[in-house]
Amino acid sequence: MENLDQEIEKKEQELRKIRSAFLNILEDTEEAKNQAIEERNKTLAIINNFSDGLLVLDNENTVELISPSVEILLKQDEDNILGKSVFKLSSKELNLRPLIDVLKKKKEIYRKEIEIDGNLLLEVSSSSFDFGEKKGTLVIIHDVSRDRLVEKMKTEFVSIAAHQLRTPLSAIKWSLKMILDGDVGKINPEQKDLLEKTYYSNERMIGLINDLLNVTRIEEGRFLYKPEKMQLEGVIVNALQDFEETIKMKKVNVRFEKLKKLLPPVIIDEEKMSLAIHNLLDNALKYTVSEKGEIAISLEEKEDSIIFKIKDNGVGIPKNQHQRIFTKFFRGDNVIRMETEGSGLGLYTTKNIIESHKGKIWFESDEGKGTTFYFSLPYKV
Amino acid sequence: MKKILIIEDDKFLRELLGKKLSSLGYNAVLAVDGEEGIEKIKSETPDIVLLDLILPGINGFEVLEKAKKDPAINEVPIIILSNLGQSEDIEKGLRLGAKDFLVKAHFTPQEIVNKIQMFLN
Repeated sequence: MENLDQEIEKKEQELRKIRSAFLNILEDTEEAKNQAIEERNKTLAIINNFSDGLLVLDNENTVELISPSVEILLKQDEDNILGKSVFKLSSKELNLRPLIDVLKKKKEIYRKEIEIDGNLLLEVSSSSFDFGEKKGTLVIIHDVSRDRLVEKMKTEFVSIAAHQLRTPLSAIKWSLKMILDGDVGKINPEQKDLLEKTYYSNERMIGLINDLLNVTRIEEGRFLYKPEKMQLEGVIVNALQDFEETIKMKKVNVRFEKLKKLLPPVIIDEEKMSLAIHNLLDNALKYTVSEKGEIAISLEEKEDSIIFKIKDNGVGIPKNQHQRIFTKFFRGDNVIRMETEGSGLGLYTTKNIIESHKGKIWFESDEGKGTTFYFSLPYKV
Repeated sequence: MKKILIIEDDKFLRELLGKKLSSLGYNAVLAVDGEEGIEKIKSETPDIVLLDLILPGINGFEVLEKAKKDPAINEVPIIILSNLGQSEDIEKGLRLGAKDFLVKAHFTPQEIVNKIQMFLN
């Protein structure tokens, strides 16, 4: 009997333990559930407030979840989107075909631009996810119509402004040149001198407009227009030819120290690279004034890149201004008085060009002794 | 005497260039817009055409396109002489069949004549 009592007591204790264990588990479950709900609410809040359109597709491409902006972008109610195959989406107002075609073609898309109609341009990204049991695709739709419109307007504005400004300048250039060439009769030396100065002022104005155009286009981010594989040597030789007259006039000794062997080609946009080299050469010529002016251009090969070097023994850049040399509209204190021509855009443009080729640009300079500019271009971009 | 057709809407530029060409012994024929330009390519059969792009009515690109599509005149060499000059414009002009693309503000009248001579030879 006593044995039985003890047995019961023991069992009762065990049961109590089990009960409290169960209660613990229950509590944990409750907590986990709350956490899950909280997570879910958080995710939903993020999705609901997402300004981009977000579609979650299951592995059969049925739309499971959308953010409210999808309804606005696709001009379609939630009821007509959820639970349907994404390939069967349709809208009375919009032709969604281009979007569907792109989604059908590939699972992984990164910022692909799709024109839905003249006024609606969407940028679509999609990526598949796999959480074990849960597989599917996430599609993000971003409306870029306004961005593109603004960009287009800006390009048009720049192009028209340039055209409008250049036309009267061309008229001035042509007429001055014809007078200077004696096409309309002889002029005396004093008249010639004045007209020549006017001609160069006008040339400066034309140059300034070109600089401004280049800067605007760089800032539009589509400056590398035509990347091609070619030898940098050729671009340098052409640039030197363009400066032939200036070099003769300035009586500066300019050398291009060619290497014995031809370096491997690099991928460059010739027009832009030529502009970068022009700018560097132009600066070297402008700021090398002494009778013993020397400018040396050379190329060097590093294992994965090519290095361009242009060294002059000109006026140099004051130490306290080294940091600002590549900023827009910067001009050295020591040259503003000496050389009034210059927009402060050359090195800014050059740096942008080199960097859009994935290269680097740097310099060494001692005021009064000279400056050396370098840039490197990688072989593999 | 070689005949040069200048299609240019700006009166002053048109006359300057006409004067320069005449003084060098060319026969300069002038047109003030695209319509007149096309007409004169046909009626005057010039040896070379200088074509501006921004023109009232049909623009220079359209003139170029029309000229290249017309078998009667598609052999006439056309040089674009414009103040547009972005890569897109240059590429479009050359693709449509222009011999060269000169930006007005970057060339002197003499340099333009040199180009013309080069293409005439």
